[in-house]
Amino acid sequence: MSLLEINNLSVLFGADPHPFPAVEGLDLSVDQGEIVGIAGESGSGKSVTMMAMMGLLDGQGRIVADKLQFDGKDLLTLSSRERRKIVGKDISMIFQDPMTALNPSYTVGYQIMEVLKVHQHLHGAALKQRALALMEMVEIPAAASRLSSYPHQLSGGMSQRVAIAMAIACKPKLLIADEPTTALDVTIQAQIMSLLVDLQKMHNMALILITHDLAVVAEVAQRLAVMYAGQVVEQGSVPEIFRHPLHPYTEALLSSIPEHSKGARRLQTLQGIVPGHYDRPKGCLLAPRCPYAVERCRVERPELETYPQGAARCFFPLLDKEAR
Amino acid sequence: MISYILRRLWLLVPSVLGITLLTFSLIRMIPGDPIEVMVGERTLDPVMHASALHRLGLDQPLHLQYVHYLSNLAHGNLGESLITHENVWSEFSTLFPATLELGIAAMLFAVVVGLLAGVIAAIKRGSVFDHGVMGLSLTGFSMPIFWLGLLLIMLFSVKLGWTPVSGRIDLSFDIPARTGFMVIDAWLAEHGDPSTYAGAFKDALMHLILPSIALGTIPMAVIARMTRSSMLEVLREDYVRTARAKGLSPARVIFIHTLRNALIPVLTVIGLQVGTLMGGAVLTETIFSWPGVGKWLIDAIQRRDYPVVQNGILLVALLVILVNFLVDVLYGIANPRIRHAR
Amino acid sequence: MTTHVQTSADDPALHYPSPLKEFWQGFSYNRGAVIGLCFLLIVVLAALFAPLVAPYNPVDQYRDYMLTPPSWSEGGSLKFLLGTDEIGRDLLSRLIYGSRLSLLIGLSAVVTSMLPGILLGLLAAFYPKLLGPAIMRVMDVMMALPSLLLAIAIVAILGPSMLNTIIAIAVVSLPGYTRLVRASAMTELNRDYVTAARVAGAGPMRLMFVTVLPNCMAPLIVHATMSFSSAILDAAALGFLGMGVQPPLAEWGAMLSSARDYIERAWWVVTLPGLTILLSVLAINLIGDGLRDALDPKLKRAA
Repeated sequence: MSLLEINNLSVLFGADPHPFPAVEGLDLSVDQGEIVGIAGESGSGKSVTMMAMMGLLDGQGRIVADKLQFDGKDLLTLSSRERRKIVGKDISMIFQDPMTALNPSYTVGYQIMEVLKVHQHLHGAALKQRALALMEMVEIPAAASRLSSYPHQLSGGMSQRVAIAMAIACKPKLLIADEPTTALDVTIQAQIMSLLVDLQKMHNMALILITHDLAVVAEVAQRLAVMYAGQVVEQGSVPEIFRHPLHPYTEALLSSIPEHSKGARRLQTLQGIVPGHYDRPKGCLLAPRCPYAVERCRVERPELETYPQGAARCFFPLLDKEAR
Repeated sequence: MISYILRRLWLLVPSVLGITLLTFSLIRMIPGDPIEVMVGERTLDPVMHASALHRLGLDQPLHLQYVHYLSNLAHGNLGESLITHENVWSEFSTLFPATLELGIAAMLFAVVVGLLAGVIAAIKRGSVFDHGVMGLSLTGFSMPIFWLGLLLIMLFSVKLGWTPVSGRIDLSFDIPARTGFMVIDAWLAEHGDPSTYAGAFKDALMHLILPSIALGTIPMAVIARMTRSSMLEVLREDYVRTARAKGLSPARVIFIHTLRNALIPVLTVIGLQVGTLMGGAVLTETIFSWPGVGKWLIDAIQRRDYPVVQNGILLVALLVILVNFLVDVLYGIANPRIRHAR
Repeated sequence: MTTHVQTSADDPALHYPSPLKEFWQGFSYNRGAVIGLCFLLIVVLAALFAPLVAPYNPVDQYRDYMLTPPSWSEGGSLKFLLGTDEIGRDLLSRLIYGSRLSLLIGLSAVVTSMLPGILLGLLAAFYPKLLGPAIMRVMDVMMALPSLLLAIAIVAILGPSMLNTIIAIAVVSLPGYTRLVRASAMTELNRDYVTAARVAGAGPMRLMFVTVLPNCMAPLIVHATMSFSSAILDAAALGFLGMGVQPPLAEWGAMLSSARDYIERAWWVVTLPGLTILLSVLAINLIGDGLRDALDPKLKRAA
């Protein structure tokens, strides 16, 4: 049994009769120790999926799913109290902008120790020791003096390390990283990513990596789900997807990676933008922008079909094409 | 932090000077000859007129008059009332505790009720309580204070007879003034001599209630709204999301992570309300015949008692500047970014 | 490669609304704002058509009907719907004529303080080295005095009259506008579009009024609405203290001043003028709230 199993998850915002589906019909499963990437552009619903699962949606979004199970527990029927016992402890999450993710009025040490106090009931010297150990684990230099630092005294990379320390404090089974390096300098990005991978291996955590940067996914993840406008459009193993993308969107994503553009030509992109609330197509969501679209695509919505190479949501998956 | 305080202190200087210039010019702007204005209807012998002008230094060029005025102020000489011939400063300092007592009581009411209402409204956003708080506070600062005072008197003093109509304490009590705060003095008197002063403390409190509510309503409304919107803003911040992602209880998220940061801007607002309070005190003291600085100023203005008007306004303004400075310092302490700057 | 594909039209496709419609949607979402707007319209109409709407002349005294209660109370008569005051003047007519004064004073004060305030604020933002701090110091001094005290002082000096009331309130509101416009303008000055306009050769006047000012309008409009309502309150306060509009002109605040002696005998003389002030100010504040919700994109349907 997988650690995390999601079947047919939809997240709806706004009132009937026309709620906005930020996520539509998502299936995902993650095993212990696996690294899964979720890729897509802004507005694809990748963050919302995970926030919904963690219960961080603020009451504005409605969650509808056939199955939402973590470690054998049904997240759909869990009371908020029960959920709080899991969140931060067995599942934790780090976010995109580390500079705003920490409370400016409390020391870094306090915020790390808070997780340990609440979930593991540590006190006094044991508490402080564990906090120090965590800070060293995330490679924060001079950890002892940093305990009493305030967030505004730390750089972006340092703050993200603190966030990671808070997230792994209770040795979670699943860590969700929502664009953890997007807001950081390029050199720091590499450091943080390698730290995450090391920690993952050390603790055999499952890691869900949400990103729009496919290069990162290629290096780190085993499986990948590509999202567009709230739907999963392709899913499969990373090597396979990169070699033979099945969905036109994935193909476009891959071809827009700068490394794939030879010479001084413009980067390849898809015309148009992601559909919003008011202009959701009746047919395939990519049809307005897809270079291969035909009449059927504009009228019917494709389902996610499984093929030997992976799964794709397209009537005409690119089964015979070679990737560039 | 030190540099922050010093900078604020440094900014005080032009403000203080500006206020003295303002009050100085205000009086000089009154149309007509100042001596004639002071003397009123009676005609004045030209020789006496000239000697009065000279005596008061009014025949000097304006900038010299201003310097003279400043030096008087520096020596603590604020002139005399034209009506009572009392020293302006001594009149002010006798009456000030009454206004201070009223102001503190009103502020306490405003802060306690306002903060509570604002926090609960933010937590229960969209609920009946939230709309109620918003509606009531909007009504609160749409209301003229003097009308609220009159209504309160009409309802609680006249109709229900629960509270007295005016003054600080029943006339039958002659409380010795030790601190200047009637409530404290009454309590001290009652405890010192229970037979003579039975019930004095309660009486003093009852006199204080209605004016404090009337005066404190607008600040309360402003504080409630500000607290609510500040809380809502902080609740949207990333670090609150992080706190929730850590699995912390809602109580912890609200009271430890949100409130602490939400209160910082509210502090500034509370400080600003002190200025409003002074203006409102004028009206409240008039309605409730509360013998404080506000009533004193109004009477002086109506009676053309110019030394009192000039320097009374100066004193009030200086007070407001002082309070704003203190609030700035408090804000610097509360905001960790400023506290830790060098 | 461009593919022009139409998004299907028979969708539950809601089209993006026009700016005016979007504004009205945002504004009318706030029911209180709409109610406020309706009430204000009534007041404005009453003020404009006072001679037609008011049953009596506000200064006429009906000696036989002094202190008549409102028509629905015991002792009241339909002749004087809201009763009469202590010298027999019809309350309803006085309230209606009073609305003229309040609205006029409020509007004049707002316009008189907004225009110089905008100018000073823009100047302070565009010339932050010397002119700016000088202007702001003066504003700080003006704000150091509680606004009511300053207004009272000004009226005390200039003498009580409607014009001086307007001047006093305008002077007291000026710093608020200056600060607001300066803060807004300084934020906008940092933005790229201003730099672009500067590079394109726009001179200071154009930059100030054509480039930057329109983008500061949203908070300015909200502030103007709120200051309109405080102008009415301040005018009433001055009237109450006997320093504003002089009798026999019917001003709401002044009506309350003479009503003080009748708290026990004639509740309507105290309650009704104050209620009118309250409802008018409340209506304007509600509109201000609605404007804020409609104009501030950050707060759209969030708070």
